[in-house]
Amino acid sequence: MRRVLKLLRPIPDFLAAIGRRAGFFWATCAAVPRTLRRPGTVVEQIFFVGSVSVILIGVGGLFVGLVLALQFYTALSRFGATSSLGGLVALALLRELGPVLTALLFAGRAGTSLASELGLMRATRQIDAMEVMAVDPMRRVVAPRFLAGVISMPLLAGIFSAMGILGAYLVGVKMMGLDSGVFWSSMQHEVSFRSDFVNGLIKSAVFGAACTLIAVYEGFHARPSAEGVGQATTRSVVISSMAILALDFILTSFMY
Amino acid sequence: MGDATLIRLEDVHFGYRSHAVFSGLTMDIPEGEITAIMGPSGTGKTTLLELVTGQRKADRGRVRIHDRDLGSLSRSELYRLRREMGLLFQDGALFSDLSVYENVAFPLREHTRLSNTLIHHLVLMKLEAVGLRGAASLHPSELSGGMARRVALARSIVLDPLMMFYDEPLVGLDPIAMGIILRLIVHLNQTLGITSVIVTHDVKEVLKIADHGYILSEGRVVARGRPSELAQSRDPWVRQFLDGSPDGPVPFNYPARDFAQDLFSAGVAT
Repeated sequence: MRRVLKLLRPIPDFLAAIGRRAGFFWATCAAVPRTLRRPGTVVEQIFFVGSVSVILIGVGGLFVGLVLALQFYTALSRFGATSSLGGLVALALLRELGPVLTALLFAGRAGTSLASELGLMRATRQIDAMEVMAVDPMRRVVAPRFLAGVISMPLLAGIFSAMGILGAYLVGVKMMGLDSGVFWSSMQHEVSFRSDFVNGLIKSAVFGAACTLIAVYEGFHARPSAEGVGQATTRSVVISSMAILALDFILTSFMY
Repeated sequence: MGDATLIRLEDVHFGYRSHAVFSGLTMDIPEGEITAIMGPSGTGKTTLLELVTGQRKADRGRVRIHDRDLGSLSRSELYRLRREMGLLFQDGALFSDLSVYENVAFPLREHTRLSNTLIHHLVLMKLEAVGLRGAASLHPSELSGGMARRVALARSIVLDPLMMFYDEPLVGLDPIAMGIILRLIVHLNQTLGITSVIVTHDVKEVLKIADHGYILSEGRVVARGRPSELAQSRDPWVRQFLDGSPDGPVPFNYPARDFAQDLFSAGVAT
C-alpha cells in the first residue's frame, strides 16, 4: 500500500504544476488587450525574438532541405519517381519539418534567451521594481513576449521552409540534374494551400505560443539566484521540446 | 511628531515558513515627516517595506495607508495607491536593457501621456538633482553601485510621489554622494511635503535628518522617539546599537543550539 502511495505521490504535484501554468496562461491572455494598446513593446519583442533566431533558422532550413533532397532522390530513383521530388520535399517541410524544427531551434535560441532574461530580471528585482511602480509585469513584460512568439514563429517557419526548398532545388536540379520545370510543377501539383500551407502556419503559431509561454513562465518564476536562472533556462528548453512534439502529434491527428 | 498618521501597522505578524519575522509589530508613520527605521541586519527592515508597499501580505494584523487596509485592496486599487509611492531599492533594481535616461523616463511613459519634450525636461531635471545628467546615455552596467542608486532615486521621484521609502539608501556611497542623497531626502520632504521612511543601519547619518526614529529588534519595536530622545536613552539595548559597541544585549549570532553540543555531536549539523 505504501509503495502504491509512493508511486501516486507525484500526481498531485504534477496537477498543481499544470494548474499554475494554466493560470499563468490565462493571466497572460487577459493582459494581451492592454498590451495591444501600446503595440510598440510587441514590435520591439518581435524584432528581438526574430533577429536572434533568423540566421539560425535560415541556415538550419537550408541544410535540412539539402539532406532531405539527397535522401528522397536516392529513394525515389529506385522507383523511377524522381519527378515527385519537389512535391515531396515541400510537403515534408510545410506540414512537419518546418514548424517542428523551427520550434525546436526557437526553443533552444530565443526560448533560453527569454527564460534567462526574465530570470535575471527576477533575481535583480527589476520585476519587483515594476510592480512597485504600479506597472503590471504581465502586461509590460510577459504579454509582449508571448505575442512576439505567436507572431514570429510562423514567419520563421516560413523562412525555414523556403530555405529548405531552396536547398532541395540546389540538390535536385543543380546537383542531380532534375529538370527545373518538373521540380516546381510537382510542388505546385502536390501542395494544397489550405491543408498544407495554412495548417503548417497554424501549427507554428501554436508552437510559438507554447514555447514562449513555457520560457517566460520558467523565467518569471525562477529562483532569484544564479543557479535558479540556470535551472529555469534548462527547464524551459526541456519542457518546450517535449511540448512541441506532443502538440505536433495532437495537431497532426486533427489536421490530416 | 506630525498631527496625522499616514501609515499604521497594527499588530502585524509575518514570517517565512517557520521563521517568524514580525510577531505583533505596531508602528505609526507620521505624514510629511522623515521616519528612520533602524535595527541590526536580519531584523526585517526590508520585509517591513515590502509589507508597506503591498509586495507581501501580513499573515495577521493590518497595514493601513490613508486609513485603508492594504490587505483588503483589490489589485487595481493597490496599483492606484502605488502611484503615490516611490521605493528606492537597496541595489537600485534598474532595468538593465534600458539606458539611464529611459530608466528615469519609464514611469512617465507608463503612467502619463506627456509629450517627449516634457518627458525630456522632467528626466533631465531629476537626473540633475542627483548629479547624473551627464550619465543620461549610459547603461546600468556602466555605472558604479552608488551611481546606480542615484539613478534609481531619480526614477523613484520622477512622478513626485506622496510617500518615499528608502531601503538602505546610504550603503556603499562615498561621503559626498551620501551628503547629496541626505540633502535630497530633506529637500524632497521640506519642499513637497513627502512622507519619507528610511530603513537603515547608518544610524548616525540618518538621525541627523530624521524627525522620528524606530529601533527594531527580533521583530518588534524596542525604542521609538525623536532623535534627541533616542540619543539620550539609557536603555542598554539602544545604547549598544547607537554606539555600535560589540558587547551588550543585542543578539549577533543566528539562533543555534548549544555550541558544545554541536561540537561533540556524532553527526555534523548541516
